[in-house]
Amino acid sequence: MMYVVFMMSVLFVVGFIGFSSKPSPIYGGLGLIVSGGVGCGVVVSLGGSFLGLMVFLVYLGGMMVVFGYTTAMATDEYPETWGSNVVVLGALITGLLMEGVVVVYLFSGGGCELVGLDLGSLENWMVFGEEGGEYIREDYVGGSSLYDRGCWLMLMSGWMLFISVFVVIEITRGR
Amino acid sequence: MNPLIFSMILMTLMLGTMATMLSSNWLLAWMGLEMNMLAMIPILTMNSNPRSTEAATKYFLAQSTASMLLMMAILINFMLSGQWTITKLPNVVTSSMALAALMMKLGLAPFHFWVPEVTQGTSLISGAILLTWQKLAPLSILYQIIPSIDINLLIISGLLSILVGGWGGLNQTQLRKILAYSSIAHMGWMLIIMPYNPSLTILNLVIYILMTLSIFMILMNNYSTSTSTLSLLWNNTPMMMIMLMITLLSLGGLPPLSGFMPKWLIIYELTKNDNIILPASMAMFALLNLYFYMRLIYSSSLTMFPSTNNMKMKWQFTNPKYLTLLSPLIILSTLILPLTPTLSILE
Repeated sequence: MMYVVFMMSVLFVVGFIGFSSKPSPIYGGLGLIVSGGVGCGVVVSLGGSFLGLMVFLVYLGGMMVVFGYTTAMATDEYPETWGSNVVVLGALITGLLMEGVVVVYLFSGGGCELVGLDLGSLENWMVFGEEGGEYIREDYVGGSSLYDRGCWLMLMSGWMLFISVFVVIEITRGR
Repeated sequence: MNPLIFSMILMTLMLGTMATMLSSNWLLAWMGLEMNMLAMIPILTMNSNPRSTEAATKYFLAQSTASMLLMMAILINFMLSGQWTITKLPNVVTSSMALAALMMKLGLAPFHFWVPEVTQGTSLISGAILLTWQKLAPLSILYQIIPSIDINLLIISGLLSILVGGWGGLNQTQLRKILAYSSIAHMGWMLIIMPYNPSLTILNLVIYILMTLSIFMILMNNYSTSTSTLSLLWNNTPMMMIMLMITLLSLGGLPPLSGFMPKWLIIYELTKNDNIILPASMAMFALLNLYFYMRLIYSSSLTMFPSTNNMKMKWQFTNPKYLTLLSPLIILSTLILPLTPTLSILE
């Protein structure tokens, strides 16, 4: 489980490197989607199944793919990949090298050994899973107390969603 | 903009600041900052042109980066201390991160680059809101967490802000940029005095807001955004020219005017705390500010800039604009130095 989380966090960073080396928005969006999905996976693996699923469905499925990705598709006629520009390629390779250095650094250095695997400094990543489980998951409780105790916060968030409609209309009006 | 929508957005702007200032919970304070930022965007793009869109985009990027940093600091603080209450931040990483975020929100020295750009891109009224009202919410959070902030970081940033605020405005002809740099310098003064005497920060903020608002209103009255249009103030509204001169001198902090009061008290407070080099260098860096205010004064009231003949006939057209708040603001921003002894109630 810990290795899965570690792999996913490496992928998470690689996705971020992918879009922050600035290819065209299509491929940047691809990197963002990869790291967003992997991030949801990390959250799910660490116990927040409700939160991870919600973020995956609403944020990734709705906002990123439908709005962001389609808009990015529409903007560029000849999109620029990671390989078509030497600056982008250099940034990508530099980022990947940095990430490789970090991974090597994390694996080097003595640490505890678990079932024949040398973990290096990764012992901090260990999650001692609770196999028994609780009766009610924490993230459900968080979601429900957001509506219960934090009803005024919900009201404020609702007001902000209401206002953001006007904000979006105002800044896109007449163009 | 539709008046109904505009009033709703203004209400949200105020609601955001109020939520930040009144809440004792980090999450709500952060939400207030976000509401503030979101409501500011349409105000910045009020007269819609590419430059104002660019300014709003820059504002959005800088502010959302700062919000993200602040959220990160809040979450690390929550992880370490287990509470959402705005109290002392025990960890140095958390407090430095929160300080960096708030400095970015306030436009202080290493993160100041967005301030002149954004202010120059918007209309005068939006610039006035940006440089006055938008300072309140982050400053109130900083006021609450100031005992746990690393003082060396704070003083370096404040001193750098004063220097950059003076330096950047040199040779600048655009008035909004000059006011933005003056804002950076004043925020530096407020930041430095904050660990020693937070009441003086509030005093400096109030007086700075009064002076900046009155200068913005004078400029709005004359529709001038650059030095060359300001140099025609003398044949349009001669009295306004004198008022602009006095208000600029007050902004520079010259003695008989009210802008002197915060500078005087801050230097006094710092020397009481056995700081000698710090207030001396602050006062010297403030001279850079005074230099470009003097350039504005020179070009508006001491010389006649070369201009076309048509421009010299500007006095024939009466200015229909009447700003009610202008005269009380000018009086407040120039003449309240004699009220200084009443500040003993703050001690």
